[in-house]
Amino acid sequence: METIINDYISRELVQDAALLPLSDDTSLLDSGILDSLSLLQLVVFLEERFGITVGDTDLLPQNFASVQTICAYLRSRQPVAHG
Amino acid sequence: MGKGRLARLVRIAERVAYWTVTAPVLAFLPAALGYRVACWRGDWLFRTEPAKRTDLASNLRLLLGDELSGEAAQATVRDWFRLASCEALDVRRLRSKGKPLQRLVQIRGREHLEAALAGGKGALLCSAHFGSFDSGFSMLGASGFKVTTIGRWQHKYTVGLSGAERRFWNLVYTRPLERLRYRPNIEPWAGRVEVAAKAAAALRANEVVTISIDVPPLAGDRARAVEVPFLGGRATLLPGVVTLAKLTGAPVLMCFLYRSADYRHQVLQISEPVPVDGEAATAFGRCAAEVSAAVRSNPAHWQYLASTADLADLGLIPQVRDGPAAATSKIGTAPGLQPQS
Repeated sequence: METIINDYISRELVQDAALLPLSDDTSLLDSGILDSLSLLQLVVFLEERFGITVGDTDLLPQNFASVQTICAYLRSRQPVAHG
Repeated sequence: MGKGRLARLVRIAERVAYWTVTAPVLAFLPAALGYRVACWRGDWLFRTEPAKRTDLASNLRLLLGDELSGEAAQATVRDWFRLASCEALDVRRLRSKGKPLQRLVQIRGREHLEAALAGGKGALLCSAHFGSFDSGFSMLGASGFKVTTIGRWQHKYTVGLSGAERRFWNLVYTRPLERLRYRPNIEPWAGRVEVAAKAAAALRANEVVTISIDVPPLAGDRARAVEVPFLGGRATLLPGVVTLAKLTGAPVLMCFLYRSADYRHQVLQISEPVPVDGEAATAFGRCAAEVSAAVRSNPAHWQYLASTADLADLGLIPQVRDGPAAATSKIGTAPGLQPQS
């Protein structure tokens, strides 16, 4: 999951090549990679790729602060495996 | 107390009285009488606020050059004051679910908006700080559309406003407008990364989202601004409406509220969808061209005409040395009512 998201952000959203390679704990907000519209682009990608819907209440900066926090958020949205 | 300070206090007191007492009373009178009195007040402000009058005339000349004769320019400036006074009545006529204002506003192009919503992806109404645009959006909400606006309530952010002034504008301006909108304004501001996603959520729910595209970009947004032809020059604007449309599939329709020559009747004109295919900057240029054409044909309707700092930040007139930065923009608070610089 980390690889998929890191690849997408690196390919589609990073405008400053100096930020590459992107580490999973790089702050996407402080580094300017994510702004309002690129966050939307990322949300659209996540919804299509992982089959989820990101609700209004989940649009918190802390959920999208880094590749790591995005993955943590996505894992929290997936059903817990029983057994 | 100095003469200048006293004059400023008198102006503030008059504005407070106008918004809290006079305009509500005028809004209950027959419209012809109410709006006539509002125009008289506009004429009085035109005569008694020479500094603002001079700024408006100067900005008009810088923007349109010799397109207007001296006489026409003076009439435009006087009209700007009249429209600012009339807006208070528009806001007060949003009482009773907006019906008093609805009686005076004809919506043209409603079928375009309905057809757009039939597509199921919502609709983006692209507008400007033009006429009583805020009242127009709320009135559209009152007429059955689920309307949400992307826009800042400027009085919440304008530097130098006291807490009492902010509460005042919230009470007399924001509240009546927001009552008829489906969701609270989505307010873009530095660090608010959730703005576009919230707008997308409204569009996914097949609602109407309005956005005014003539706003000077904040410092943090300048990197993604584009330069487009505007009023014979080039303006630096954010093409977010097109990006939002491309990401959500929502159609973009232009929307302007024009006040008629009798000042009480207005027309809310909604266009057919604007094509947003191709490069974002090119597509956005089409939207900006529509705004430019509306302003050129009705310059008194454009609220930015009064704000030298904002016009400079847009790149339309030369920067004023030591002038206020964009963060102190006065646009967004009701026109003609902002604290004096």
